[in-house]
Amino acid sequence: MSELVVDDLVAGYGDARVLHGVRFTVKQGEVCAILGPNGAGKTTLLRALSGMVRTRGTVTLGGTELSGRSPDTIARLGVAHVPEGRGTFMPLTVEDNLRLGAFVRRGRAEVDSDLDRIYTYFPVLKTRLKQAAGSLSGGEQQMLAIGRALMLRPRLLLLDEPSLGLAPLVTRELFRIVQAINAEEQTTVVVVEQNAHLALGIAQQAHVLETGRIVLSGTAEEIRADEQVAQSYLGYRV
Amino acid sequence: MSGPTKVDDTTAAPAPARKRRSGTIPARWRWIALALLLAAAVYAPFQLVPFHVFQLTMVLVYAVALLGLNLLVGHAGQISLGHGAFFAIGAYTSAVLVDRLDVPYLLTLPLAAAVAFLVGFGLGVPAMRLRGLYLALVTLAIAIFLVPLLKRFEELTGGSMGLTLPKPVPPAWSGLAEDQWLYFLALGVAVLAFLVAASLLRSRVGRALHAVRDNEIAAEVMGVRLSSYKTLAFAWSAMFAGVAGCVYTWVIGFVSPDSFTVNLSITLLAGLVVGGLGSLSGPVLGGLFVMFVPSISQDINDAAPGVIFGLLIILVMYVAPQGLAGLAGRLIKKIPRKE
Repeated sequence: MSELVVDDLVAGYGDARVLHGVRFTVKQGEVCAILGPNGAGKTTLLRALSGMVRTRGTVTLGGTELSGRSPDTIARLGVAHVPEGRGTFMPLTVEDNLRLGAFVRRGRAEVDSDLDRIYTYFPVLKTRLKQAAGSLSGGEQQMLAIGRALMLRPRLLLLDEPSLGLAPLVTRELFRIVQAINAEEQTTVVVVEQNAHLALGIAQQAHVLETGRIVLSGTAEEIRADEQVAQSYLGYRV
Repeated sequence: MSGPTKVDDTTAAPAPARKRRSGTIPARWRWIALALLLAAAVYAPFQLVPFHVFQLTMVLVYAVALLGLNLLVGHAGQISLGHGAFFAIGAYTSAVLVDRLDVPYLLTLPLAAAVAFLVGFGLGVPAMRLRGLYLALVTLAIAIFLVPLLKRFEELTGGSMGLTLPKPVPPAWSGLAEDQWLYFLALGVAVLAFLVAASLLRSRVGRALHAVRDNEIAAEVMGVRLSSYKTLAFAWSAMFAGVAGCVYTWVIGFVSPDSFTVNLSITLLAGLVVGGLGSLSGPVLGGLFVMFVPSISQDINDAAPGVIFGLLIILVMYVAPQGLAGLAGRLIKKIPRKE
């Protein structure tokens, strides 16, 4: 079981506190969307989960404590983070990028077969294997970033603004694939997204984060039906 | 408006597969070029006068040091303005072992490598927590304090007088002259160093270093422990510099603090950048540059070496920001090729 339990999470940078006691749970195999305006602390929340900022409070994944551990240890425990802006290793080839995703794993044969699995999700990557990753389009780089994260065989996948800078059609395709991955691999997913529509479309649960606190939680349907959310994030009235 | 989950299957048709990467030279040609280069390197000392053989030997010495610096600067993306210090450590380790302890000179190579590695590791632990300008300053400080330190331990290092050593005698079976023997020693060490560096870079470790260089955050969430890899890169890089210093001692037969000033550290970094960061041929080109530009320009005018060296660095940076290796790569790409 890889249930994610976040309890009373406080995080920030230096003296500036960004999260003030965030509490939520994501069930094994579910997709959880984190919505909220700019500066609410969405990215910081993901960084806190993957150990990149100092935190207080507890985070456990399937009962294993994540809080207080270093990012590389957390990666070894099966948390894959697709950072904001994709974090592409530009001069490296697409294949090297993908193999880096499996950095903490041993067993070459398994990694090779996982590569093939990634290509079934993202066929376009296979045609670009020997190409420098920096020469990919934005959408392809995002696919690469997600594919690279899957190479870790994550129990928990953290996606930070996958739609950033992408055309609407590409974004929609991307979310379709994320949904397929979630269904097929039973990976627990936490997705931070400005495009509330798409995020709610693939999520079971959703939370609205404002100035470092969760102000609204519920199932995706409940959140979608909420008038306030509809006005602020969906751009229409219910 | 309808729900957002509607799947649209017209999107993301796989983009037309572009022509396979055409930037690099086909592997076969690369091997042929390497074999030719090696053949020329073996042939050269029998055709040249001893002084030129000595110069080529020094090119190899610099190439080994630059190879190490390249691991750190070109591949791991960190900077060092203090590699002359590790060069000096290798040189002195070899000299002290031969002079004071009568260790056979060939045995001093692994020992010099080990000492430089350990010192590099020790200094790398604190230094690699810094980045950019701060790291540059701290490494520069290493080069500044280390050499005066050598003067302090006079009984061991000979103080400011330095140590003079007997030159290695070529074994009788080889039938080589002294300069040729030294050249082949340096060539052997250089080839070995290149093989070690190439296999290191092709491994998982090499990928991790590149990841650290290209995007620290992404590398970290992928499970690469930044501090360990940076420190190890620093230590390996110091080890190569130490090996180069050791061969330097064999070749020159004399070490003194004045041989390893801060200038050496700066020259190494300049040579690497001119040769080409991050490429395997860069260190050799950089070695040629560091060795031959000053000595050729010496013939023009006594004041010329510094000026010409400086101007050429500026010129190369304008014409070939990726160094001579990058320039060569661009020229090769221009050659029309059959499909």
